[in-house]
Amino acid sequence: MRLLRHSRRPWVIGSALLLLLGHLAGCFSSRSPDGGSQAKFTLPRHINADDVALPSGYRIDAVATGLTFPTGVAFDREGRVYVTEAGYSYGEVWDIPRLVRINADGSMAVVAVGENNGPWTGVAFHEGTFYVAEGGALRGGRILRITPEGAVTPLVENLPSMGDHQTNGPVMGSDGWLYFGVGTFTNAGVAGEDNVKFGWLGRFPYHHDIPCRDVTLTGENFRSGNPLTPNDDDTMLTGAFVPLGTTTSQGQKIRGQTPCSGAIMRVRPNGDEPELLAWGFRNPFGLAFSPDGRLFVTDNSYDDRGSRPVHGTGDLLWEVRSGHWYGWPDFHGTRLLNDGDHFVPPGKPRPGLLLSKHPGIPPSPVAVLDVHSSSDGFDFSRNPAFGHVGQAFIAQFGDQSPTSGKVLAPVGFKVVRVDVRTGVIEEFAANKGRQNGPASKIGGGGFERPIAARFDPTGSALYVVDFGVMTLGQGGKVRQPWTSSQVAAEPRKGTGVLWRITKPMQ
Amino acid sequence: MRRHAFLTVVVIVLASLWSGCGSARRGEPIAGPMVIASPEIKQGQQAFMKHCHQCHPGGEAGLGPALNNKPLPQFLMRFQVRQGFGAMPAFSEQEINDEDLDHLLAYLKALKSHG
Repeated sequence: MRLLRHSRRPWVIGSALLLLLGHLAGCFSSRSPDGGSQAKFTLPRHINADDVALPSGYRIDAVATGLTFPTGVAFDREGRVYVTEAGYSYGEVWDIPRLVRINADGSMAVVAVGENNGPWTGVAFHEGTFYVAEGGALRGGRILRITPEGAVTPLVENLPSMGDHQTNGPVMGSDGWLYFGVGTFTNAGVAGEDNVKFGWLGRFPYHHDIPCRDVTLTGENFRSGNPLTPNDDDTMLTGAFVPLGTTTSQGQKIRGQTPCSGAIMRVRPNGDEPELLAWGFRNPFGLAFSPDGRLFVTDNSYDDRGSRPVHGTGDLLWEVRSGHWYGWPDFHGTRLLNDGDHFVPPGKPRPGLLLSKHPGIPPSPVAVLDVHSSSDGFDFSRNPAFGHVGQAFIAQFGDQSPTSGKVLAPVGFKVVRVDVRTGVIEEFAANKGRQNGPASKIGGGGFERPIAARFDPTGSALYVVDFGVMTLGQGGKVRQPWTSSQVAAEPRKGTGVLWRITKPMQ
Repeated sequence: MRRHAFLTVVVIVLASLWSGCGSARRGEPIAGPMVIASPEIKQGQQAFMKHCHQCHPGGEAGLGPALNNKPLPQFLMRFQVRQGFGAMPAFSEQEINDEDLDHLLAYLKALKSHG
């Protein structure tokens, strides 16, 4: 009490307030990352639908288990269920891409197999034919046409998607066009050490992002370690839209071309030349048409990694408009990356702009989803019996912290619904527990990594594709080409699940 | 009076540390549907979704810390939004005007007490 009467009292009260504010702020810099991938896991995966929480009146069932890296789901004319298995996962784990039919008893029948050019990222069914997006990690992205008998024919080839992100989609429009996305090679336009960890830079050291239209650079170059030599002191400078170790200058023009990075394209099923619809995305993963015929896309936003790290950018849900540019690599939504302190990673520089003149101002996003949530495949509810007609149900794969950037708690690992009129996001299906996260981290037998959500043709059942367990090793450190083949991501084969959510009659 | 103020701060700090042990989960599957009748709070919800949700999804921890399980005094929240703190950026009146900030804080209060 004597202290209260002492002249140092304001210092004491000030310290208490700072302590309180520090606690409320969560002390981001001083806390360890606590992402959903940071878990120890041993096979087998335990599955229990009762561990998934749903709104009142809904139920969830696991309809197929034991899948390896499942990514997409589609339905044929008879309503039978088909799933794509990727055949490739982050962590440089390779398998055979497959299209499999899920029988009523949960057993599987293989319809078609692919080559070592995964990941197959999604599937659509239209007029008796399957269309699959092949990521193209080794030979470039493709759109494949697959007959019910399993005959595979490329519809589009040589898409530039051998980098961090792949060829995604597809979805068939009522206009007869097949729409698909092409992701960027890099996080934020500059090749660097982080791309070595993904594996592709060792294979393709001269690859880089490709703009869809001519762009003019600011000429900013970024210093990084040289991941192609074993000397720790060896550094290099790299500019935007050029190979690793290549510098750029102010006013330098980069010639646009198609196909290109960060784009949404479309093609006729008869095999005509594909055409560009919109560009300036980072990783346009999920594509879906709303009941009123508008095209929407989920766009995985920047990570806090690499030579040009960007902090605090939530994944975006966009309405896709023909001819528009959506901001990558200089915007998040309608905000420039050098705007104030919004995107400055703690302890790192503010991201500078790469383009001296922007192709336009991006439109406002429909919704801003959780940072690092990897908001991926989605669909719109169309059936009043299921509810929330016109809302988007989005599968969130979940964070890959600390590789993608630090988080204080697991992000994603659930299904959310979005009112596209207001941008309001509501949790729809998530694991039970005091904290959100994948079952491999928080316990139980619920979700691991939902990667796609799609309604069956009746609209009465929402199928959720769960990629399975993927933890992260090596503490998120970058793997060098001359070190052991153990890499950061640790996907587990055979742990994928197909879930079905219904709303039984009361 | 001054002694009272000091004790109040101490109590707030202790309460804050203690309440951090409670779950922040307020989503519909866990806490039931949140019905918002007030247009102002609905407006605050939309402002939250635009500016806050990405780092504090549903008021839970994510990139940033949880908001739902801490007794945040409104004056401190207002201060933090305007000034930023640590990794959290500052939001100017051009980004979130005073009226929207009032509504946003009202929504957060309703969210914290939900479920």
